[in-house]
Amino acid sequence: MTQEWNIVVCVKQVPDADDVSIDPETGTLNRSDAAAVLNQPDYNAIEAALQLREEVGGTVSAVTMGPPFAVDVLETAVALGADDGMLLTDRAFGGSDTWPTSLALAKISEELDADVVVCGEESTDSSTGQVPPGVAAHNDWAQLTYVEELEPKPEDDELVAKRDIEGGHEMIAAELPVVVAMVFGTNSPRVAGLHRKIFAETDFEAEEYSASDLGIEEKVGLANSPTSVGGMDTADPVPREKEVFDDVDSLFEAFEEEVV
Amino acid sequence: MPADVDPEDYEDVWVFIEQHDGEVAKVSWELLNEGRKLADKNGERLVALVMSEDGQEIAEEAVVRGADHVLVADDPVFEPYRAGPYGAQFRDLVEERNPDIALIGGTHTGRDFAGRVAVPTYAGLTADCTELDVEEDTGLLLARRPTFGGDAMATIKCTTHRPQMSTVRAGVFDPADRDEDREGEIEHVEVTVDEDDAHSRIIDRVVSDVVDITDAEIVVAGGFGTEGDFSPIEDLADALGGEVAASREAVEEGWAEPARQVGQTGKTVRPELYIAAGISGAIQHLEGMDDAKTVVAVNSDENAPIFENADYGIVGDLFEVLPELTERVREAKGEEVTSDD
Ligand SMILES: Cc1cc2nc3c(=O)[nH]c(=O)nc-3n(C[C@H](O)[C@H](O)[C@H](O)COP(=O)(O)OP(=O)(O)OC[C@H]3O[C@@H](n4cnc5c(N)ncnc54)[C@H](O)[C@@H]3O)c2cc1C
Ligand SMILES: Cc1cc2nc3c(=O)[nH]c(=O)nc-3n(C[C@H](O)[C@H](O)[C@H](O)COP(=O)(O)OP(=O)(O)OC[C@H]3O[C@@H](n4cnc5c(N)ncnc54)[C@H](O)[C@@H]3O)c2cc1C
Repeated sequence: MTQEWNIVVCVKQVPDADDVSIDPETGTLNRSDAAAVLNQPDYNAIEAALQLREEVGGTVSAVTMGPPFAVDVLETAVALGADDGMLLTDRAFGGSDTWPTSLALAKISEELDADVVVCGEESTDSSTGQVPPGVAAHNDWAQLTYVEELEPKPEDDELVAKRDIEGGHEMIAAELPVVVAMVFGTNSPRVAGLHRKIFAETDFEAEEYSASDLGIEEKVGLANSPTSVGGMDTADPVPREKEVFDDVDSLFEAFEEEVV
Repeated sequence: MPADVDPEDYEDVWVFIEQHDGEVAKVSWELLNEGRKLADKNGERLVALVMSEDGQEIAEEAVVRGADHVLVADDPVFEPYRAGPYGAQFRDLVEERNPDIALIGGTHTGRDFAGRVAVPTYAGLTADCTELDVEEDTGLLLARRPTFGGDAMATIKCTTHRPQMSTVRAGVFDPADRDEDREGEIEHVEVTVDEDDAHSRIIDRVVSDVVDITDAEIVVAGGFGTEGDFSPIEDLADALGGEVAASREAVEEGWAEPARQVGQTGKTVRPELYIAAGISGAIQHLEGMDDAKTVVAVNSDENAPIFENADYGIVGDLFEVLPELTERVREAKGEEVTSDD
């Protein structure tokens, strides 16, 4: 049995959803000026990872794949309590779809000898939710998605999860190593302490990995991605009447035909 | 790992038939409907794939709903669902038979195991699509999906890898009609997986009757503004003969069942009338109700974005407005009955 667990938490940097605007002139999506933030659902992943460490012991390593400035989300994770951070950054990663993205995260998880890899439910920008199962598939590890609660069983080398399934939930025990995706909003993420925050900002240095460090330079990037974005258009807002009434009677009259 | 492939070697449109305890997920019938159109456009067969303990009956129903051919893998390892055996069996069949397109419902189940097929076969996997078509001269799958929480639509293509896989959001297409006269071939395939593929075991499974809000003509939805008291929502839904729905916020608080959640990570509804009370109108919520014919908003904040996305609205306290509305509805319906007499 594994004494202490090597816990990896995957965190993604995304444009701040509140900042993404649609250019009224061109009708295109304006995300260049949006602030880059930690993917909201990943706060739940970090919290789950920290709780696992509290229960089992071991380390929490935060991992991100992205441009050099994505180091910011590692800093956030370290401020919240992660022990260290790995930045997978390389021009070769550019344009990767979920296939190479999950390969890179699978390789670093293997490299870190992970027992558990914790992810968020999905990202707020492209929101495929495909990365966590992808990491598990690349390494042929167990997976637990849509997880509401975790219960570590270090004595059995198992992780038990309560998973949200259609119409209810299931309790499922998975062998280690395992990749987990936490339901967005399922726990209450802690707030970073001042001490830890200062440490993350001043002393913390991320370990950098290139594609060749991971031995996958031939397998990542746009050219090695099976899907490609063939076009993007802004979703046309549905035309609505937008009529606001002062009293319930007028409101009711407006839609009365629909109901009687 | 196969590199680029010759698309000529790949044909047929596959649809995964999701079932739990012998009960088929409605999205599977929606996909048979949509898959039929794609197969006809490309002159390919529509193939359904069933994994269960005993799938004969479901396979027969898949034929009635439009499948030309059904592949059935029967084994206790498939009950209840686990990602390992489903992914491995699906993958083995894909590698043996080379489908051109494979469609999987974008449910928790479908989105859980699809990657375990796409990753080892090096297939393109498009997530949570809401529109499907094939490109006219190439026959390539054009999978459209909302991104940025629904602010934009992206068209995803997969030009050099096969199969072209997609998970497809539930509730956006109509289910395939039944036609008892339709004929198709049912083939029981070799089961190539066993417990060793699971890496997991189910300890307990608690499933109640799943409410289905996707067919409702009238939906009354409550959000965080209800502060946990859904009774005005329920009363109005009851008076209108509609279904109760909720925002994700309300579901997370435990005020409504997850099956009633509307939005990006919930259900897509297409009712004649959608009433949103105490819901701010976040883009992820709007995505699930955009196809409603008429939207009514009740919110105490005049600046709530829901008003920009509603036909009729009122700025006010839902605890006052909804009971009044309920009364109006009951009165109106009562009058209707007497005048009909
Ligand atoms: C408009 C658009 C549409 C797209 N559609 C598709 C598509 O249909 N299919 C496809 O294969 N690719 C698609 N992509 C590419 C895809 O967005 C990228 O591969 C992306 O880097 C990872 O996918 P995601 O953001 O959807 O992750 P998700 O799978 O939604 O993320 C889930 C979790 O995985 C972890 N994670 C994800 N990315 C990283 C990262 N870079 N570093 C660390 N942890 C991470 C986080 O814990 C996150 O919470 C699309 C891209 C765009 C711009
Ligand atoms: C990846 C991702 C996926 C998501 N998926 C979904 C999804 O599928 N569905 C979904 O709904 N959300 C989803 N969300 C969450 C979404 O962004 C919003 O947080 C959520 O919709 C807010 O719910 P709400 O409107 O009930 O709550 P709030 O935003 O808190 O709004 C409550 C509203 O109630 C009003 N109010 C308060 N008191 C009263 C009163 N007495 N009378 C009348 N009005 C009152 C307030 O003015 C306010 O407008 C998702 C988010 C992410 C990041």
